[in-house]
Amino acid sequence: MEIMTSNTETIPGFKITKSLGVTTGSTVRAKHIGKDILAGLKNIVGGELKAYTELLMEARTEALGRMMMDAAQRGANAVVNVRFATSSVAGGAAELFAYGTAVVVEQE
Amino acid sequence: MSDISSEPILILVLLVIVGIFAIFFPLAFLYSMLFAWIHQGRHKKRLLAREQRVASIVGGDNIHTLSRPINLEKISQCGLVMTNITVAPSWWQLFVGGIKSIFGGQIQSYDNVLAYGRAEVMQRLREQALGEGWSEVINVRVETSMVLNKVRGGNQNKLGTLEFVAYGTGIR
Repeated sequence: MEIMTSNTETIPGFKITKSLGVTTGSTVRAKHIGKDILAGLKNIVGGELKAYTELLMEARTEALGRMMMDAAQRGANAVVNVRFATSSVAGGAAELFAYGTAVVVEQE
Repeated sequence: MSDISSEPILILVLLVIVGIFAIFFPLAFLYSMLFAWIHQGRHKKRLLAREQRVASIVGGDNIHTLSRPINLEKISQCGLVMTNITVAPSWWQLFVGGIKSIFGGQIQSYDNVLAYGRAEVMQRLREQALGEGWSEVINVRVETSMVLNKVRGGNQNKLGTLEFVAYGTGIR
């Protein structure tokens, strides 16, 4: 069963029948020192820093995956109102956090 | 005895390190001054072409910020669509921006980089939605986060790196 995710309060076309509470997922990542130096070199000309883009995307996807796993364990088939939060931890590490409300939905 | 023999080697190593820094930094700065705008201009031109291509396929725009669908009547599935980009100004732009920020006012060198980053992340969202087969992306939000921009051991954002995240709900 695939879990539907949405950042709207309700899923249009579906009816929420049961709320199962807040579901969360998080991961902490730090950048590799070699990539750090390479990104520093890329910084000379500016523009996109691909190494950081990929790292953060990977981390965010993992946080989202953990959130969905948590929702699945509660028996939800959808997560609504998903939000992301980020914070920097000491030593150049970053925490990426995803949270939402696990619900059971039915097609109208 | 050993002190005398190791001294010249130590001095040599020190000279090499100082030499590398003395040559590398001015050269990198010069390169940034002369060629950064070419690199960034090329990316901007590519972005414009991609925007036109997607607009011609979709016939308008497939992302919007409303929380309900506009064109679609019946929805069978939905899912989160998410893209990001990390951008930073070049050394030259940082230098110019640093001088301009003494006097205040509009800082055009940062402006350009941030405008490019936002436009690019929105375009990536359109392309990802198209690639994953969503017919529309609703409730699109763009966020700016400042993680990973702290230089190791310090707490200042010396490089000016910024991350933009765009996400929304894809429906079909």
